[in-house]
Amino acid sequence: MESLKLKKITALWVITILVLFLAAIVLGILMRLNQAEVINQEPLTFYTNMTTHGLTMIGIWFVAGMAAVNYLLQRYVKTSYTANLFAFILTVLGVVLLWLCTYLGKFNTGWTFLYPLPFKDLGAAPWATPLFLVALTILGLGWLVWSVSMMAKILQRYTLAQAFAWQHLSKQPKSETPPFILITMITLVGVIAALIAAVIVIVLFFAEYFSKGSFVNDALLMKNLIYFFGHTIANEMLYLGVAVIYEIFGELSGRPKWKTTWYVSLAWNSALIFILTAFFHHLYMDFVQPEGLQIIGQLASYLASLPSVAVTVFSIIVAIYGVRIQWSITNCLFFLGVIGWVIGGLGAVIDATISNNIVLHNTLWVPAHFHTYNAMGNVLFSLGFFYWFTTQHVSKLVISKLTKFALIVLIISGIGFLMAFYIGGADSIPRRYSTYPEALTTGPALARMGAYFACLYLLVILMFFYNIAKRCFAILSAPSSSVGA
Amino acid sequence: MKQDSILLFFCLLAITATIVFVWVFRSSIKAEERTPGIKNALQKRFWFLLILVVVFGIFASVTLPKSPYFAFAEEVPAKVIHVAALQFSFFLSEKSIDPKSPSGDNIELPLNKVVEFRVTSLDVNHGFAIYNPQMRIVTQTQAMPGYINRLRYKFTKPGIYHVLCLEYCGVGHPVMQTTFIVK
Ligand code: HEM
Ligand SMILES: [Cu+2]
Repeated sequence: MESLKLKKITALWVITILVLFLAAIVLGILMRLNQAEVINQEPLTFYTNMTTHGLTMIGIWFVAGMAAVNYLLQRYVKTSYTANLFAFILTVLGVVLLWLCTYLGKFNTGWTFLYPLPFKDLGAAPWATPLFLVALTILGLGWLVWSVSMMAKILQRYTLAQAFAWQHLSKQPKSETPPFILITMITLVGVIAALIAAVIVIVLFFAEYFSKGSFVNDALLMKNLIYFFGHTIANEMLYLGVAVIYEIFGELSGRPKWKTTWYVSLAWNSALIFILTAFFHHLYMDFVQPEGLQIIGQLASYLASLPSVAVTVFSIIVAIYGVRIQWSITNCLFFLGVIGWVIGGLGAVIDATISNNIVLHNTLWVPAHFHTYNAMGNVLFSLGFFYWFTTQHVSKLVISKLTKFALIVLIISGIGFLMAFYIGGADSIPRRYSTYPEALTTGPALARMGAYFACLYLLVILMFFYNIAKRCFAILSAPSSSVGA
Repeated sequence: MKQDSILLFFCLLAITATIVFVWVFRSSIKAEERTPGIKNALQKRFWFLLILVVVFGIFASVTLPKSPYFAFAEEVPAKVIHVAALQFSFFLSEKSIDPKSPSGDNIELPLNKVVEFRVTSLDVNHGFAIYNPQMRIVTQTQAMPGYINRLRYKFTKPGIYHVLCLEYCGVGHPVMQTTFIVK
């Protein structure tokens, strides 16, 4: 019963992700409350919370996308259960080690662990940095095996050209590549590239660690590598969510399935290049970086949004406009998520403009826009998938009055939580400050506003958690015979 | 301030996007039971792509020349200030700074003249962000170990300017700051 096994492991992923999500939201609220001076934590506590929050959130929403894509891939190819399970075990192990690093070892470099900060006095235990690198290695290994295995399975069924939908570039394509396969393929290439960069970063860190001073890294090179990894993985996880939408939005709405056309193929293929070069926008304020790369950074950041905005968003709009579709909780979450994604993308494009970045870089504008397309974008894509996955039937997804109310609260909480960040960014409030200097007068008040709205957000997520986890446990405890169908 | 127009611009864009989405959503709710809709949602949207490329092209060609790398590039700075960042303080000096025993001076900068900051770090990455007397960022660069970033700026308003660290550098990050005077 291959598909039952897949179903169970996916349910396991879902529960693990949601539990970690709730914990990480609480950490986020604590951070905001501390910045608001409502509570009073040691800076070290704040920064271990911040590091844990960032790493956990990135990790879980990445694997959420991977697990969803893996589950849906079974419609086209037979995927490896072993690779999936392997990734699950290594992810859990890696996350446990990360939490040990931050909470026992007081590791607090922020999730981007910029070189050489992990080697300097952090107020952390001496073993924290090597253990952190080991934890990253474990996560990287699990994810690399998983993504390579998925890609290999796709390439067993489709030729390389088909997997990238190149035949659609000709007038009369002989075969058809489903958009889901195309986007998954493009995304996996990016994921694998990011993970390889992570491996290089880890090796360079270890080399310096073990050389005891005879080998010293270059700070600019390390920054480029770290952001190539960090930006790319954070970006690709959104596309994993998007692939899911392409696959199930149509059928959920009682509409025909989306099909690849020549410019869908073109847009996503070119996106691959733009996504891999957009990370340069993290180095705009490093004036020693060659100017050519800075300009590539701005152009690539703009162009990377084209396949997503122009193709995905517009497709969703025309799929819905003037058409009576079945609105279930899943496609409502998808639809809301797309709005969050677009608005976060607008904030990102503004910040990716070098002449704006000079006043926005590392202010609260940064968490503002990435929380928009994560907390109100990608998270909703994944939650939508979780609902669909745990019921597998549209008729069970109809929206109750309570759910409608919850969605409205979700929107309000999102706007409040995010506006506090955006206004803070425009007010030049720096990101990553445990408390604000007195001169930054609006900082604490905005933080309080953010914290309270985030509590509302937490409540809604708790309700979703209850609904989804209940069904996940049913899947996990079901005997092999009854869930198979 | 530039930041206010950025926020306003963003809000306008976000509201426009929201209106479009709400309008689309309502049209779906109100639609007749049996409208066929289109067969493939991914069809014939090429012109939309093209318009976006053009819009982005215009946006890029307007904003790129305003990038800080090109600011005052042709001018000779009236004053050069050396900056060394170190967990968790800044040293500013008119003379170059000895990395072994860094020390700084009180800095006074001229009004309406180009000043160049040569910014580096003696330990980890830091930020060097200049806040005007109203506590808004006017310009910034990074302080990176092993590199010197040259930041040019012309101050047009007198007063006390703050420098804040804008790159996370350890637990003392939020208290890492200094000031200088422009008159
Ligand atoms: C309502 C839920 C959430 C709350 C209350 C919250 C809160 C916060 C806060 C207060 C910060 C620090 C901001 C600062 O720099 O001053 C932060 C940083 C961050 N958050 Fe969240 N967040 C939430 C959801 C998410 C989600 C869904 C993601 C998914 C990717 C995420 C990823 C991150 C990352 C990567 C950072 C940066 C950490 C760092 O600077 O090292 N957060 N969050
Ligand atoms: Cu700092």
